[in-house]
Amino acid sequence: MKAPKISIDHTKCTIPFDCKRCLQRCPQGVFWVLPVKNVRFQETNAKEPGAWKLTVQYRAFCTACGKCVEVCPVDAIIITPNTSDREEKHDRLS
Amino acid sequence: MCEYCVQYGEGNLWYLNPRNHGRQLYRRPRPGFAPDAISYREERDKLWHEYFEAVADELPQAEELRLKLDRLVQGNEPCQVLPLTDCLKMVEIAQPIASMSCICRKYMRASDERSAPEYTCAGLGVGMFKWERWPERYRGGVHFMSRQEAKDWFTRLDKKGMMHCVMVYGTGYEGRPFVGGICNCDYPDCFELRHRLDYNIPHHLLKSHYVAMIDFNLCNGCGICAQRCQFGALKMENSRRKANIDMLRCFGCGLCENSCPRRAIKLVERVSMLQLKEVW
Repeated sequence: MKAPKISIDHTKCTIPFDCKRCLQRCPQGVFWVLPVKNVRFQETNAKEPGAWKLTVQYRAFCTACGKCVEVCPVDAIIITPNTSDREEKHDRLS
Repeated sequence: MCEYCVQYGEGNLWYLNPRNHGRQLYRRPRPGFAPDAISYREERDKLWHEYFEAVADELPQAEELRLKLDRLVQGNEPCQVLPLTDCLKMVEIAQPIASMSCICRKYMRASDERSAPEYTCAGLGVGMFKWERWPERYRGGVHFMSRQEAKDWFTRLDKKGMMHCVMVYGTGYEGRPFVGGICNCDYPDCFELRHRLDYNIPHHLLKSHYVAMIDFNLCNGCGICAQRCQFGALKMENSRRKANIDMLRCFGCGLCENSCPRRAIKLVERVSMLQLKEVW
């Protein structure tokens, strides 16, 4: 069974390290938040837009439960089922 | 003895051999050294991502990528589980020792550990003095500990149910693995645990040199140990009201041993078991 596809709109999700709702809610621990900005002698500001990036790392463990979509305050996350797989299953059932 | 003990242990456990704790202390910056380290990390992270995506989409190259990553990790950053007793022995060898925030939990749960009581990771060796160069890597700062303080700290986290593993950061003195830290880990927010258990990269977290064994005569079935196993090796046998340990699944972290009020669980040496001495 192929894992569902997860897309993140980075124009909406700008301060993931400060917001962290999806990261803490995900039962499977699928997401990662990475400091994109790494400056010598300086700690990256959690509230600076664009300094952090939310990524999908362990997608194979996503169950498409939709909790991340539910808790996202800016509606940046979209989960889509893996279509090819779905069609196959449909064929098998019919 | 695991493969690292054979190569670098010199009669001891590899992480208890002081020679594996040293970077060249007064190394002059070699031309091109830093870019190499950075490009290695970029290359490795790209490979990880490729592999995770291949697993998620069930692509045929997943197995090939898995083997490639395992070899890469084997030579550059292997980790191994170790029980609390070995942690305390390492505290005696490694100086300085500093606690800091956990990078796995920072990435996976966006946890922001900001002070000494919150820190859950330990960095070893003189490299820790350079932490201020990259404060984001050591987000929240570091706290240098005395030997006794470090021992108390490890014991406290062990009581809390955190599993310990020794981390290697590339090569140090004479091309040996450079022991850089001891993590206190918890599933699912630990890279090593996930990569070993979920993605089957054995060299990213080798089993420890011990396995847990239970004495059924002493076990009274209280079940305290059952909630501490990170590996699904220990379960309560409900029919007999005794705890039972699957020694093939056991990683030998010793969490169950430390929690047992009747001392029914003992760690035994892995090499003493014919069928387990090659299971890492």
